[in-house]
Amino acid sequence: MTIGGWVFMIASWAVILGVFAYAMIRTLRAKN
Amino acid sequence: MAKERWGSKLGVIMAVAGSAIGLGNFLRFPGLAANNGGGAFMVPYFVALLLLGLPLMWIEWTIGRFGGGFGHSTAPGMFHTLATKTRFIKYFGVIGIFGPIVIFVYYTYIESWLLGYSFFALTGQYARCTTKESMSAFLSSYCGADKSYFANIGTAYVFFLITFALNVLVVAGGIRGGIQRLCEWSMPVLFVLGIVLVVRVFTLGTPDPAHPENNVASGLGFLWNPDWSKLADAKVWLAAAGQIFFTLSVGIGVILTYASYLEKKDDVALSGLTAAAANEVAEVVLGGSIVVPAAIAFFGVTAAAGNKSIFELGFITMPLVLDKLPLGNLFGFAWFLLLFLAGITSSISLAQPAIAFLEDEFGLTKREAAAVFAVVTFVLCQASIFGFSYGVIDELDFWGANVCLVLFGTIETILFGWVFGMDKAWTELHTGADITIPRIYRFIIKYVTPLVLLAILGFWLVQDWVPTMLMTEARKGSPQNVPYLLATRIGLLTLFALLALMVKIAWRKRRERGELA
Repeated sequence: MTIGGWVFMIASWAVILGVFAYAMIRTLRAKN
Repeated sequence: MAKERWGSKLGVIMAVAGSAIGLGNFLRFPGLAANNGGGAFMVPYFVALLLLGLPLMWIEWTIGRFGGGFGHSTAPGMFHTLATKTRFIKYFGVIGIFGPIVIFVYYTYIESWLLGYSFFALTGQYARCTTKESMSAFLSSYCGADKSYFANIGTAYVFFLITFALNVLVVAGGIRGGIQRLCEWSMPVLFVLGIVLVVRVFTLGTPDPAHPENNVASGLGFLWNPDWSKLADAKVWLAAAGQIFFTLSVGIGVILTYASYLEKKDDVALSGLTAAAANEVAEVVLGGSIVVPAAIAFFGVTAAAGNKSIFELGFITMPLVLDKLPLGNLFGFAWFLLLFLAGITSSISLAQPAIAFLEDEFGLTKREAAAVFAVVTFVLCQASIFGFSYGVIDELDFWGANVCLVLFGTIETILFGWVFGMDKAWTELHTGADITIPRIYRFIIKYVTPLVLLAILGFWLVQDWVPTMLMTEARKGSPQNVPYLLATRIGLLTLFALLALMVKIAWRKRRERGELA
């Protein structure tokens, strides 16, 4: 895999896992 | 009768995520990305997610909860509450019941293959197939095309009956006791199985020392190395938009129905985002790391790139790959169980709009509604099973998962932003919200999403729909299929007309009861 490939894979994973973690934490902390 | 409700916020999120996470996450996405620019494909993919996927998620969650407040769990009633003065609008809502039924009719059959293959993996039944040709023959024989591995379609039919019964049992249990209960354990199991398989694939290294070029890194490279030239091709952008549409389960009508069981003050903004994010984890992180890297590590780029369909990847390539590993039967079982769980959490969501319609509009109990649904769809499923080799499933997929999806998505977006009105829509979306959606989405939902949808509608109509509707390819390649395709169309038209008639009767009853102005 080229460096470009690694960059795209890691960046995509980071964005998706980051949004998922943020959304799950907010969901679990929400009152209702 | 008091309306059923979800038992918890996480329950509804898991149910929506379960509906969205399907076979496409693990089989369609990786092939599509690899063939449309690799890493560069993620640019149009994320753009489509932001401009199409997330807005449609929020639109459907909001319309669903809003309509649920008026006692409607399906699109005809919901559309009526959004545009009270437009009497015919409820008939557009029929698409939101018709589409899910059509998809359910073939999806449960494919889902039953996964149950069958999980069993075959454990018992080593396909272990004697060591080449693509023999594995392909195994699948054909399973579907009844020849007698090389199975005497007849009986085995496939037994697994179909079990799968169908499981679906009916779950939906007969209702929202909380059936759907939520299933999704609350099956979604975590699905993610654990996915992680186990990703770890196994990532530790494959170079399986064949004689071919050092075939390894996991080259498999990941095949999927992720960016090819920027592809971004100049409009088809790549269209493919990304289509994938976002398919993967999030938007434009079908199931999210509307699921969201209708929320309370007025329940959040929809954060829940929609969480469900979409869970789906993306399953698709990009897990789905992108199993099939393609494993296939290339074992068969090389040339052979793996030759996979023509998601069936080939899932039912031919993957069992061959997993069978080469120590404990291959267990990994094969994990793979097919993962896909089966992804399938059943989607198919139950496809059943729910029709069941909810019978409950809401005709006063049936959930068990009675599930029984009526079971009888009708069981009969319709026979067309998928026995018409498989005549292209009936492709025909159902075209109408249910292509035409209905884009039409319905476009209608609901225009209704939400333009007929209901963006001010009311924005307020409704933020009622009880646990997050504030950036204000730019007011503009996106009102102008950008409908324009993107209309563009997709136009492109697909010209490129794919017209030739398929005219059966251009079928007439040339498989003229023997044409009568079956015509019969399927007549069946679909009859089903749509019957549903429209049921809506008409239901509204007449409502009018007689004084529930309509």
